[in-house]
Amino acid sequence: MKKAHIIGIVLIAVAIAVIMVAVSDSSTYASFSEAQKNPDDVFHVVGKLNKTKPLEYNPEINANRFAFFMSDQQGTECQVVFDGSKPQDFERSEQIVITGKANGDRFEAEKILMKCPSKYNNGQMEASTVSAGQGS
Amino acid sequence: MNTTYVGEHLWPGQLGHALVILAFSTALLSSLSYFFSARDTEQLESNAWYRMGRVSFAAHGFSVIGIMALLFFMIFKHMFEYQYVWQHSSKSLPVRYMLSCFWEGQEGSFLLWTFWHVVLGAMVMITAGKRWEAPVMTVVASVQVFLVSMLLGVYFGDYRLGSHPFLLLREHPEFQNLPFTKVPNYLAQLDGRGLNPLLQNYWMTIHPPTLFLGFASTLIPFAFAIAGLWKNRPQEWLQQAIPWTFFGIMILGTGILMGGAWAYESLSFGGFWAWDPVENASLVPWLTLVAAGHVMLIHRANGKSLASAFGLSIITFILILYSTFLTRSGILGNTSVHAFTDLGMSGQLLVYLFFYIVVAIALMIWRRALLFRREEEEAANSREFWMFIGSLVLCVSAFQIIFTTSIPVINKVFGSNIAPPTKPIEHYNSWQVPIAILIATLIAVTQFLKYKNTNVRTWLRQLMWPFVVATILATLMAFGLEMKHGFHIGLLWASVFAALANGQFLLRNQKVNLGKGGASIAHIGFGLILLGALISTSTSSIISRNTSQTDVSKLGKDYSNRENILLRRNDTLQMGPYRVFYKGKVVKGIDHFFEVVYLEPDNKGKYQQAFVLRPLVQANPRMGNAAEPDTRHFWNRDVYTHITYVDLAQVEPGQEKEKIKETKHTISSGDTLYTSNAIVVLEGLFKQGDAEGLLTAQDREKLGLKAGDLAVGAHMRILDVKGKVQYANPLMIIRGNLIDGLPAAIDSLGLEFSFVHLNPDNGKVDIVVREKQRGENDFIVMKAIVFPYINILWLGMIILVVGTTISIFNRIRLAKKNTAAASS
Repeated sequence: MKKAHIIGIVLIAVAIAVIMVAVSDSSTYASFSEAQKNPDDVFHVVGKLNKTKPLEYNPEINANRFAFFMSDQQGTECQVVFDGSKPQDFERSEQIVITGKANGDRFEAEKILMKCPSKYNNGQMEASTVSAGQGS
Repeated sequence: MNTTYVGEHLWPGQLGHALVILAFSTALLSSLSYFFSARDTEQLESNAWYRMGRVSFAAHGFSVIGIMALLFFMIFKHMFEYQYVWQHSSKSLPVRYMLSCFWEGQEGSFLLWTFWHVVLGAMVMITAGKRWEAPVMTVVASVQVFLVSMLLGVYFGDYRLGSHPFLLLREHPEFQNLPFTKVPNYLAQLDGRGLNPLLQNYWMTIHPPTLFLGFASTLIPFAFAIAGLWKNRPQEWLQQAIPWTFFGIMILGTGILMGGAWAYESLSFGGFWAWDPVENASLVPWLTLVAAGHVMLIHRANGKSLASAFGLSIITFILILYSTFLTRSGILGNTSVHAFTDLGMSGQLLVYLFFYIVVAIALMIWRRALLFRREEEEAANSREFWMFIGSLVLCVSAFQIIFTTSIPVINKVFGSNIAPPTKPIEHYNSWQVPIAILIATLIAVTQFLKYKNTNVRTWLRQLMWPFVVATILATLMAFGLEMKHGFHIGLLWASVFAALANGQFLLRNQKVNLGKGGASIAHIGFGLILLGALISTSTSSIISRNTSQTDVSKLGKDYSNRENILLRRNDTLQMGPYRVFYKGKVVKGIDHFFEVVYLEPDNKGKYQQAFVLRPLVQANPRMGNAAEPDTRHFWNRDVYTHITYVDLAQVEPGQEKEKIKETKHTISSGDTLYTSNAIVVLEGLFKQGDAEGLLTAQDREKLGLKAGDLAVGAHMRILDVKGKVQYANPLMIIRGNLIDGLPAAIDSLGLEFSFVHLNPDNGKVDIVVREKQRGENDFIVMKAIVFPYINILWLGMIILVVGTTISIFNRIRLAKKNTAAASS
């Protein structure tokens, strides 16, 4: 067998592995009810902050606990608990993407990505990510 | 009805838009003229098409420069009647950030990119020579046609082609018909929205131009490759393409790392690289460009790998276009920190992308006989074989990154609903760290191989010393840095080996040819970049984690991961090797600086002030609060401090007034009342007789209690937020018809209780609680990280740039020599 063939086979194998690992490491966009059905899996939930309910952040008691209510795209509301500080300007967020697991009737977020209007300008939105426990 | 507006300057906009249209049409004319002249490149001087191509490209260049000058002038003069100026700048913006305003928006950054193409195109016109100028410039000018079309802002029916930065605010679709557009002198009160505070940073002044120059420089090898295919000159194009490719590698690499430096200095994620899709989108073409450069060198050495040289040059440019599409089309919306959202140009970008893919593939099929010849295989002991393997590994790296980054695109195309990996950093590292080990090892060993055929014994002998020294050094470093992860140790070894082996090669060969040393120097730099990145990220420690003295594990299994601490003003906390205290706030304009003092033990173990960091939060009235970290740089480590939460309304030091909140509660025994920091239960009342133990003789004397006087006490139990229980016993004293009181205070909570009234009918009592409000919100929540040896990374970058520059000049010199030899 020629070297070129070996290299070719190795490359194809690696490419397949790349795709398979990417798929297995990926998660899914889900609603709160789906997340609650599979409490062991990590999901991304897209939704909106419920601005009428209080945002709980009491740094004097615990600087690493922030809780809020969010409704997903189906309109289901759920309390989200995040092990971190309250992101700057959280109240102004238009859309939130959270990553984490359901735990009972709460959702424990590892990461919050929020989009605020008008940070750049009216036509564009700026997103920012906050993650907890991700120090690598 | 027409309103006559006061104070507007309409001429820059009209001139600017005219220049945009001129730039577009001259680029089109230039591309077509060059195209026709390229059919016969032998007699260019007499070719009117050629002259037309040159003149129109020059006109295009001057139009682009004119547009930029005009836009800058408008920003400088605060012409807020223009939407772009209003959107990206403001009156209060310092002059040094005005350049950043220019490229903050989509239009400005396209303009910057276009500008660099003009500069590089002009250099090609000067240096490429008669045989190459026309076909290469055909490609360059055609790219300009597409880029300027993004700035046209011309409507075809309802479809707007591009958007230009000379639109008046009152004519902008979002602001049309708003009340202010009816006010003739609306400009008098108008101020711009200002520049995003995150971009008010010196890195943001130099990072975008460098990155866009890097993007632009990938066009030149691409244009040469296309020209080579088109004009059927499959070998010659490399001579000129190689220096351009390495120029691109240097500039794009610098631009990417400058972006990292900006993120590190002014963003809050705590690091210089986070595998964010936008970062990935610029890294991937760099990887394929590096692969392209090395494959080109292989071809120059042995005449093989021609198809790869063409393919990689083309893919790199296509990837630049694809990256632009990814970051500008809004498709990354749910995944990226700083992607732009759609400005309605994704369609245009896709047309642009597919046009070049189709042209390149068609040309390669047309010339397939030239590209895919039967070639003898390289020997396994030749340098070119392992260089080729290295290039393939780089392509695998690029493929892995772009595949995961493209998940949103895959969703769009196939209608799937896959979310990106939940732990992106771990996901990418699981591939990229082993790949980096491979690359670094190849960098170490390949330089010592000779082209075509190497004596393996000599090769092993030469490599032995660097191998042994690297192994010893890496072992010591791994112990010193307490590295445990197997792949991290592997990369530590491989990157040290790469740097040492190339150092050794450089010393060995410096007498022969210094020009050839450029490659070794560049490789040392790359080894150091890997080393610095590895050490600073894998051994960084979040020192603000778990600093409280209580056993935090009880609070939940994840508590040890919590990264933020609360620091009250003048409180001191242990944080890693430091003690820190928060001294107070300094406000400069809209910037709130928080002074965090770091103390370190001296020789005697006494803590002394080591340094002060001033992380800031900018209270931008239009854009909300934006936090910016502050970092103390030492030669061997950086200490990074970032405010994650603060109440900006907190009082400024020295100006606080003790505010006292007084509340009266009417309660019975067993009732509970709440203060802002405690829960208070009235346990019961006690009469004078019971109070013997509680009321000292001194108290009795001070109060002048006589035998007939009545004293009643309230027994109150106070539970604070930390779960500590304290008691307070305020007294009410009745002397005849005089009522007096003895309040009781809990100093640690700032509380004072007075017993003011007892209702004999129902036994209810009135308790007045006085709460001291001072310091209620006088704290910051912050995160602090130590990054060890991050300077190795920046040093590596400088060395890489120096080495690549030497190489480029060496290649240009060689090319000139070849040309001279060919013509004589």
